[in-house]
Amino acid sequence: MEHIIHNETNNKAAPNRVPSPPVIQPVFEVKQVSFAYDGKQLALENIDMVVQAGECLAILGANGCGKSTLLKLLDGLYFPISGSVTAFGQPLTEAALRNDEANFAFRRRVGLVFQDTDVQLFSPSVLDEVAFAPLQLGIPREEVTRRVESALEMLRIEKLRDRAPHRLSGGEKRRVALASVLTLNPDVWLLDEPTTGLDPRSQSWLVEFILQQRQVGKTVITATHDLVIAEQVATKIVVFNEDHRIEAAGQPQEILKNHDLLHRCNLSHYHNEVNAVHVDPVLAK
Amino acid sequence: MIELFTFKINKWLVAYYAALLVWLGTTAMHIPDGYLSPLTSLVMFLLVLPFWMIGVRKIRETMNARSVPLIALLAAFSFVIMMFNIPLPGGTSGHAIGATLAAIVLGPEVAVIAVSIALIIQAFFFGDGGILAIGANCFNMAVVVPYVGYAVYQAFSKGTPINSPRRLTGAALGGWLGVSTGAFLAGIEFGIQPLLFKAADGSPLYAPFPLSVSVPAMLIPHMLVASVVEGLLTALVVAYLQRSNSNILEGAAIPAQALRLRGLWVALAVLIVASPFGLLAPGTAWGEWSTGQLSAMGLQAIPTGMRQLSGLWGAPLSGYNLPVLGNTNLGYVISAVTGIVIVGLVVWLFTLLLTVRPGAQNQEHQR
Amino acid sequence: MDKSINPGHSHRSSHVLEHTLHGISETLERALFAEEISAKPGLFQSLDARVKILTVLAFLLAVSFSKNLEIIAAIYLLALALALASSIPAGFFVKRVWLALPFFTGLIILPALFVTPGPVLLQVLPGLAITRTGAISSLFLLLRVSTSISLSLLLILTTPWNTVLSGLTVLRVPDVFILILGMTYRYIYLLLHTANDMFLSRKSRVVGWLDAGEDRRMLAAISGTLLAKSINMSSEVYLSMQSRGFRGSVVTLKPFKMQPRDWAWLAVFIGLAILAVVLGR
Repeated sequence: MEHIIHNETNNKAAPNRVPSPPVIQPVFEVKQVSFAYDGKQLALENIDMVVQAGECLAILGANGCGKSTLLKLLDGLYFPISGSVTAFGQPLTEAALRNDEANFAFRRRVGLVFQDTDVQLFSPSVLDEVAFAPLQLGIPREEVTRRVESALEMLRIEKLRDRAPHRLSGGEKRRVALASVLTLNPDVWLLDEPTTGLDPRSQSWLVEFILQQRQVGKTVITATHDLVIAEQVATKIVVFNEDHRIEAAGQPQEILKNHDLLHRCNLSHYHNEVNAVHVDPVLAK
Repeated sequence: MIELFTFKINKWLVAYYAALLVWLGTTAMHIPDGYLSPLTSLVMFLLVLPFWMIGVRKIRETMNARSVPLIALLAAFSFVIMMFNIPLPGGTSGHAIGATLAAIVLGPEVAVIAVSIALIIQAFFFGDGGILAIGANCFNMAVVVPYVGYAVYQAFSKGTPINSPRRLTGAALGGWLGVSTGAFLAGIEFGIQPLLFKAADGSPLYAPFPLSVSVPAMLIPHMLVASVVEGLLTALVVAYLQRSNSNILEGAAIPAQALRLRGLWVALAVLIVASPFGLLAPGTAWGEWSTGQLSAMGLQAIPTGMRQLSGLWGAPLSGYNLPVLGNTNLGYVISAVTGIVIVGLVVWLFTLLLTVRPGAQNQEHQR
Repeated sequence: MDKSINPGHSHRSSHVLEHTLHGISETLERALFAEEISAKPGLFQSLDARVKILTVLAFLLAVSFSKNLEIIAAIYLLALALALASSIPAGFFVKRVWLALPFFTGLIILPALFVTPGPVLLQVLPGLAITRTGAISSLFLLLRVSTSISLSLLLILTTPWNTVLSGLTVLRVPDVFILILGMTYRYIYLLLHTANDMFLSRKSRVVGWLDAGEDRRMLAAISGTLLAKSINMSSEVYLSMQSRGFRGSVVTLKPFKMQPRDWAWLAVFIGLAILAVVLGR
């Protein structure tokens, strides 16, 4: 939030200084990034991408194309073997994150929700889970308690407060996973396959949640192979092919109409779902 | 009344014990609260403490924050493995501890922590094994098994390629010897109870059987069943990992086993030193016991059948009830020390015999 | 494939499978039962976890130190009374301990009745007599074991395990260790369910007769898969912790505050335990 306000003041201030163009700092700048696990097989190859504040980006790709890896690079969990990632104008490197203060500042602004909720939810109870991030990041205890309460309320999981994660349903786990990042109030959401294991009702609820975050000016980056959710929430789409490269990028309308492209990237069989499922015009707006 | 124990009942007792032994061997050696005196429990905690400290230091040095989830998941794995019922040739089945496997994958120092956590959770949340007995259970199962098992495995696998069948032999023997040693120590812990802690009238206050019964009762069935299960499971899983996940085995292939073996020797030395401490500390119990002279009597009153049964083990230790010594206390110390020295020698011989072999043909694999 | 299973056709190998499956589901059920009871109203449920941990430890020590059978029996009765005051069904509380006891401690202690040297109490058969010391010693062991188990049951059944964890701080257990304990407990369930699924899918595919060797290979494959899963999962979990600011040290919420009532009960219980130790000397 802070960051967005900062950008707005920049916008207003810029026209006064006539020669220099308005400085709108992108949230992420990814330049020529390649990544490989164990130095062997490439998981990402020559990725170039810019994410602007307030954008709602969908990264589309079949399973194993490298989109999860990209989210982990954006979250400063992995670092590229070549190329560079810049976050909020600062280089995102292992060395930069080694500093506690810089690390905490970055982690407060960017929240990643993992695809596997069993990975995301490692605490003994929902309450511990939801409080984990703000506590670790040095937010005072009273403030943490306040945030936990409002997150539980917002996601309508107050009743689950003392439950153990293994007692939750798939949809409940997903809500708790979102709550565990919501307490950070991040500027940027990174969502990895957020619809995994959700029934249709929970899916439409999730779309609502993402649109809500978009409305308050958050940047949302969603990695998914689900064309329905991409159509419903994205303001921009990047498509990965199975060679771990970016195949195309552009407006949702043109990308989702391009059947050849989707077929090439092994996404076409999901396309039928787009036609089959009636998209709620209110939600999709 | 000592004469009451005639030969007639010996057969009955032998049959009873034979059945009991088979049954005991299939259960894990989780000592419940009530079998050990508070003093023994305390001594066992003191024995485990340095190993916990070594483990935590090792974790801090090598893995940092990354090790928190790793230990948690491996402790969970260890817990789940303890529930698997593994069939043996011949129709019996038993439970493994998985501590040898943990040591092979993590190294013994870290395996101590993972298995200890599994045992602590069993005690605190599932009521398996006593809470006060956590020290003893952790020592027998989470310290002794990983260190002994790992020493044997290392002796076999040193310098061999990851997929070498010698690693399987090492894993099997390591698991077998590790659990056998742990069971032997549990037998000693039980056996010293009636020597040390008796009520005024001579009734044992905790585990009632003397060393001559408790040690073979723990050792023999474990050697036949639980240790075999541990060895079998360890070898089978190592074989599985060799085929499908060999990178997991590479992790602990880092050398420095000299240090690890030293840890084992330290453990044995501490045990030898601590045994007399366990004897001398309880002032009042000690006094009651010596005035009554009941213990000496008790040791002589063990039925002949029992003595025959324990002959397997008892023979080399028969010194403790030799009238020549006249002092059961001294006899106990001697027998305990002898037992520990014997186990130590066996382990040492094992490693000595096996470390001589790895030859030049394997050296390329050591990088 | 499913049609070829003959449910009535049981053989040794499936016995091993069933045994393990049964063990897993029993563990899950036990935990569920404890959760249900800890959610009910009751004396122990209303107390701070730290009070309960200290109380149970104090009584465990008193039981362990006591050289007096009556004192141990009194502590057992106290545990029973506390169970009743804490919505634990008395039948369950008694049966859980005393039905299981003969199979372990009972079997072990039985010969001690006869072989422990001492004056004869009861001549059972010619040449087989229960000695006084044997009887007393057996009573000591049985009472001590049953009372200790009852005391830990009291804690386990009335306290959600995550509050037991936060209560452990009172024993000076470091926060990182508590974090690891909590994560272990959480992932035990995940691995239990995974193992359960693997066993079940295996079971559904077993058509004919499996020998013990195949059983063992199956168990090894399941164990190996679980081990690999545990290790892979741990690195993913680490990323997820890192992503939320974990750097090796832990900050906890510590939501509990000892109320005057907690202090009062703690004083009562510790007082009783000390009294038991003194009287039991």
